[in-house]
Amino acid sequence: MILPTPAEKKQWEEEGYLVFENAIQGEDLKRLQTAFDYWADAGKADWLDRVEAGEAAATFYDIPNPFEKDPIFIDIIDYPSYYGALMEFTDHDLILLAPQVRSVAPWPVSYTGWHPDVPQSNPLHIKVQIYVNDVEAGGGEFGFVPSSHKPDAGPYTRPMRQESMPGHKTFPGKAGTAIMFNSCGWHVSMDNHSDVPRKSIIIIYEKRTPGRIGPEQYAFISEYCQTPERRKLFSLDG
Amino acid sequence: MPRIDAHLHVFTKASSEFPREISDVWPAEREEPVEKLLEEMEKHQIDQAVLVQMAGASIANHRYLLRCLKAYPNRFLGIGLVPEGHPNPTDHMAELTDNTGIIGFRFSTFGGPRDIFAKMDVREFDAYPIWKCAAERDYVLWLYPNAINAHLLPYLVQEFPQVRVVLNHLAVCPGKGKFSWDEYGRPQIQVTGYNLTMHTTYRLARFENVNVHLSGQYAFSQEEFPYKDLAGWHRGLLTGFGAKRLMWATDFPWILEEPGYGKLTTVIEELLPDLSEAELADIMGGNAKRILRFPDL
Repeated sequence: MILPTPAEKKQWEEEGYLVFENAIQGEDLKRLQTAFDYWADAGKADWLDRVEAGEAAATFYDIPNPFEKDPIFIDIIDYPSYYGALMEFTDHDLILLAPQVRSVAPWPVSYTGWHPDVPQSNPLHIKVQIYVNDVEAGGGEFGFVPSSHKPDAGPYTRPMRQESMPGHKTFPGKAGTAIMFNSCGWHVSMDNHSDVPRKSIIIIYEKRTPGRIGPEQYAFISEYCQTPERRKLFSLDG
Repeated sequence: MPRIDAHLHVFTKASSEFPREISDVWPAEREEPVEKLLEEMEKHQIDQAVLVQMAGASIANHRYLLRCLKAYPNRFLGIGLVPEGHPNPTDHMAELTDNTGIIGFRFSTFGGPRDIFAKMDVREFDAYPIWKCAAERDYVLWLYPNAINAHLLPYLVQEFPQVRVVLNHLAVCPGKGKFSWDEYGRPQIQVTGYNLTMHTTYRLARFENVNVHLSGQYAFSQEEFPYKDLAGWHRGLLTGFGAKRLMWATDFPWILEEPGYGKLTTVIEELLPDLSEAELADIMGGNAKRILRFPDL
């Protein structure tokens, strides 16, 4: 387990985010990209049918049940390059809430306004966004307002244009980059002015609270969860 | 400030003078004439209205609408239809708007790629010539997009920022196979509990030329009037579009029996109780007058 450096801990506390360049690389990155592209393609027709039926959003596509599709989607949940930081920041009491293996349509179809995900009263809620393809500036990169996760920050309001958010920072990056952020902080997908969908995986974690995730939720992958740490992460032991 | 019902339908019995399509819900002998509408408007202090063509898109099918607009030029403006696949839609639109009171046209499809991730060239959409014509001739586009067309709309809105767009019925995009008629003869649209339109049409709030009807609640709600389960949708639209781009409408005549025209004149106060007096007046007519350019009474 790679624990965060003092500088990383300081940045996390003060600014609410960390960037792990090349967090996933080499064969693992290739496996991830191959699995992502294969299953995104395999499920696309069904997704479009559900959009047509008014049963799915038309701006992004999440590969359904990714853990059933390929073990690489399980392996990235506790991937060494960022797992240590997740554990450290949650006092080694981390649970997975859900993964989103997501393709997002380019502008002007896809548009998300600046927002926080959870209120300050929520247990520590962390997201890790992993770029599956290279995401250049103007290509739907992640945006975050440093320090906006703090209780005394703001107040913030959603501007009409993404780039008008005061104090924000954007995070273009190479495939395999992982961005970890406190979900109380204001964040967004910047507009994607390229003509290709942005492919990324968003993993949602939280500091454990009793009963948050039941043991049945991820029971179907118990064969991949042989260590006590993984069983705890996936709430398999209640 | 006038009170304006911004979307409804009138029709008369099918005849050689007023030919129209017929269906189980609007058989040949059924009529919901403009005089009946005027009685309701009078009773409930509604000053003006937008008459939206139904039961046929040919020029001849529009005769009754044109007669109503001619008879009451200060009370009504009209929205027409264009036959699907018309070889020359711009001629059709020009004929129907030649000093008639018809100010725009209603559409639900745009003829672009079904694949949301496909590379898009808006000039290749079937609807492109119609939008171009609307931009040149200042038509209003009255839209009730099918769910599989919602992703095409931002490309058109972005390409034609000068076109006034009005999204019908809470900006909902009905899904295929989700339409039916209820026991009162009203359209019913089955929608998901999670409001998917917040990802599509609600996002169009960033375009200043896009406006939304607060109407058709009966078709989406799981409750009786005042449809409190839709209060969140109304708040979302108010937050996104602001009180200056929302328009109240009843969708007469479908609502005559249940809940009744009078009740629907209070639906906005019921669902958005925190509106200021000025905001309510805007939604109940001020916006329609400004955006659609209703004549002074």
